[in-house]
Amino acid sequence: MAGEGDSEPGKSFKLLGFLDVKNVPCARESVLYGSLGSLVMGLGHFLATSRVRRSYDVAVGGFICTMLGYWFYCRFNLAQQRIRQRMLQEGMKNRILYEGSYLDPEKEQIGSERSDS
Amino acid sequence: MANHSQFGFQDASSPIMEELMQFHDHALMVALAICSLVLYLLALMLTEKLSSSTVDAQEIELVWTILPAAVLIMLALPSLRILYMMDEVNEPDLTLKAIGHQWYWSYEYTDFKDLTFDSYMIPTSDLPLGHFRLLEVDHRVIVPTESKVRVIVTADDVLHSWAVPSLGVKTDAIPGRLNQTSFLASRPGVYYGQCSEICGANHSFMPIVVESTPLANFENWSSLLPS
Repeated sequence: MAGEGDSEPGKSFKLLGFLDVKNVPCARESVLYGSLGSLVMGLGHFLATSRVRRSYDVAVGGFICTMLGYWFYCRFNLAQQRIRQRMLQEGMKNRILYEGSYLDPEKEQIGSERSDS
Repeated sequence: MANHSQFGFQDASSPIMEELMQFHDHALMVALAICSLVLYLLALMLTEKLSSSTVDAQEIELVWTILPAAVLIMLALPSLRILYMMDEVNEPDLTLKAIGHQWYWSYEYTDFKDLTFDSYMIPTSDLPLGHFRLLEVDHRVIVPTESKVRVIVTADDVLHSWAVPSLGVKTDAIPGRLNQTSFLASRPGVYYGQCSEICGANHSFMPIVVESTPLANFENWSSLLPS
């Protein structure tokens, strides 16, 4: 059913008052992975060295690096996906336009298959 | 058009505007990272005991040289990419002249036929029901969808600015100067903008409306318009 489990369209949750993590692609995952990375690195450092202050520093550094690292990775994949979507759209449009005409590449292919046989 | 109390961008209707929105998201993510660091440093300073026992600051000097350089690179590279993308020289399918006056716009299509018309805001008293107040005009700018349109912007009297947010276009209209911009409307629709340079009493009442329509409809419209 429409709307089940989905947040209302247009609602936003702005981190620090400016970053809309609900509507910006990759933002939510970046912040969540960043938080996880921060926890793991900070806790790991503390368990290894028992230095509290330095562990806090490592945790914050880990948050920033993990968040930005995942952000770049996710946005790169998103950009590639968009390019593929555009190519697909263009291909579908051209297929409809040229179907049956002399420009139809499938017609040429069938023609060459017939001449081979 | 923007909804009431809208704070963010309108939906993108051109590839450039899509790129600009993506860059904006990227810039905000970098800003979040910087704000997180600054908030942490602030908390650290507030809880740290004051001391002047620092004799060697090599590490911190290295950090606060390299970090800002990295931030600048992260922002500058995508920004320059879009800047050069916006300035790409390509063969436009249509050239349109937009001339700012006090207080209306006039448009000229001179590629194939001398088509000229003025575009005045429809006053609220004459506005049909359901139309947008202070945004509707009597004659819209009609452009074909998915066609590169070059707009040459100038003004007749004082400074104006031709802006359509959803197309990612804003160009100053300066008397005695021709400024060029271009856009490609990705989908059919009606896109609203407003004059973006203070030009007198009715600066807020000279809107811009661009209607993007399939090529066949555009040809129909241009053939019907008297020159």
